[in-house]
Amino acid sequence: MGAIETSGLTKRFGESVLAVDDLDLTVEEGEIFGFLGPNGAGKSTTINILLDFTQPTEGSASVLGKDCQRESRAIRERIGILPEGFGVYERLTAIEHLQHAISVKGTDEDPDALVDRVGLDADDARRPAGDYSTGMRQRLALAIALVGDPDLLMLDEPSSGLDPKGMQEIREIIREEADDGTTVFFSSHILPEVEAVCDRVGIMNEGQLATVDSLESLRDESGTAQVEFEVEAVPESLALDDIDGVRGVTVGDSRITVTCADPTVKIEVIRAVDRQATIRDVLSEETSLEELFNRYTGGAIQTESETGSGSGSDDGTEEVVA
Amino acid sequence: MSTVGSRALSVAKVDFLNVRRAKLVWGPVVLYTIFMFLFFWGQSNADSPDFYAVLWGLIGIGGVLVVPLIALVAAYLSIAGEVESGSITYSLGLPVSRGEFVAGKFLSRAGVVVVGIVVSFLLGILAGFVFVPGMEFEYGDYALFVAVTSLYGLAYVSVALAISAMTASRSRAMSGAIGFFFLFNIVWNFLPVGPVQMLEFLGDQFDVEFSDSFLELVFSLSPTGAYLNSSQLLIPDRFLQTVGGAASSPSDPFYIQGWFMLVIMAGWVVVPMLVGYWRFRTAQLG
Repeated sequence: MGAIETSGLTKRFGESVLAVDDLDLTVEEGEIFGFLGPNGAGKSTTINILLDFTQPTEGSASVLGKDCQRESRAIRERIGILPEGFGVYERLTAIEHLQHAISVKGTDEDPDALVDRVGLDADDARRPAGDYSTGMRQRLALAIALVGDPDLLMLDEPSSGLDPKGMQEIREIIREEADDGTTVFFSSHILPEVEAVCDRVGIMNEGQLATVDSLESLRDESGTAQVEFEVEAVPESLALDDIDGVRGVTVGDSRITVTCADPTVKIEVIRAVDRQATIRDVLSEETSLEELFNRYTGGAIQTESETGSGSGSDDGTEEVVA
Repeated sequence: MSTVGSRALSVAKVDFLNVRRAKLVWGPVVLYTIFMFLFFWGQSNADSPDFYAVLWGLIGIGGVLVVPLIALVAAYLSIAGEVESGSITYSLGLPVSRGEFVAGKFLSRAGVVVVGIVVSFLLGILAGFVFVPGMEFEYGDYALFVAVTSLYGLAYVSVALAISAMTASRSRAMSGAIGFFFLFNIVWNFLPVGPVQMLEFLGDQFDVEFSDSFLELVFSLSPTGAYLNSSQLLIPDRFLQTVGGAASSPSDPFYIQGWFMLVIMAGWVVVPMLVGYWRFRTAQLG
């Protein structure tokens, strides 16, 4: 049984917006699964359905073998979540947030140990969380997620608002948890972040899974090189296929594009073309993982962490009496 | 292991910790205390200070304005504020059901209102000693009045919580709370366009006679009407006659007697909360 399973999951908002489109997703127990896609691809909506924050229009979803709508509370007993746009009780300290989480999860952990584990300062943990920076809030959210040693960690854009050091620390905690057998479901729009920790990735685009694969085979696919030639005239009988390592040849007006299984084949290809045609120009490119993702998502993936991404709305300047 | 009860209580506890630190919540309580001091002080200038004149004044100003204000301010953001700030992802990301969440919120905000009212009345005793030491202080009726006023406050907490559960932003929750206050308080009980006047008008037009008891019931169907008419449980007839109020008689139908006013207010505690929960159970939070 998968840790997360969705079948035909569909979510419409109103008539025109199809946020999740017939999604079949399986996350195996014990793996670190990267859920990748540009903002607006349907990642957060999917997660919101898994947490029963919102209900699907069609289809079903289960987490740890339990139905997301009928047994949501029981699911949340065994998972830890780090939601996007995590908000705090402005006037409560981190310790007080953790005490409540520990109480409703029915465990007897030490809040100070959790605070220490996520790298939140012990003094800060006794100040109102309304004064925290986004990074401190993310650390608090992670501490709350770790309460009760969950079987599944669901992290939605966990590094938003964190500096590189913070990201590194969060990654380490994720790995420690995974080594313990915890399944990790990790959503992000930032490629290198997912690349650094995940076993397998699913790429969402426009509400659908564009692909699901292990990072290894994606890297294999991405190791290819492309050589593009501009020539005087394309010869009638172009013989390149017999070269070892040539995967494909496409021919245009005065253009020849050759895909090679690995970059070492390039030189041989160039020599072969040079023998058969007059080359005007040569362009050689290696397909990176990044380009591969761009291909699946129509170029919408962000490859660098940008500031102000994710949950920029909670800057703690506004006091809400609630 | 945690249980339904312990989880709701934990929600109540953490919410109470948070909301009690909001100064704004205590503003209307201070206002109520100021009125209390004014009424006691007013009796110190009277020829014969009367304890029930103080209660009479408090029923009026508390019923019309201050008690609803205490409760609405304490509870209108209880759920909508969490949705707006995103802290709902903390509260309901934990293993807490929506029912436990609503119940915990009610307990917490009810606690704020009751604590505020009780503290205010305790200070009232002090004011009585200071301003009118010679006046006879009826502790029994005073305690009953605290209880009835708290019940009235809880009815408004329930309404505010229901509105908060049905809205997703501060501004909508506020509009809803103000709208309810105008419709079921000012319009229903104080403006000449309330349901009682409308029925009288229709009765005139179509030559139908509504009994006074029936019209009195209609007046009492709002929480404010029930609270004002519950005064017959506390205020002796001799005082009601001096202020021109109608004395109650045992021959009145049950539905306009004092105890039934408590039933109506209890209904206002239970029903809005259930409606709020019913709507919130499937509300979109993401």
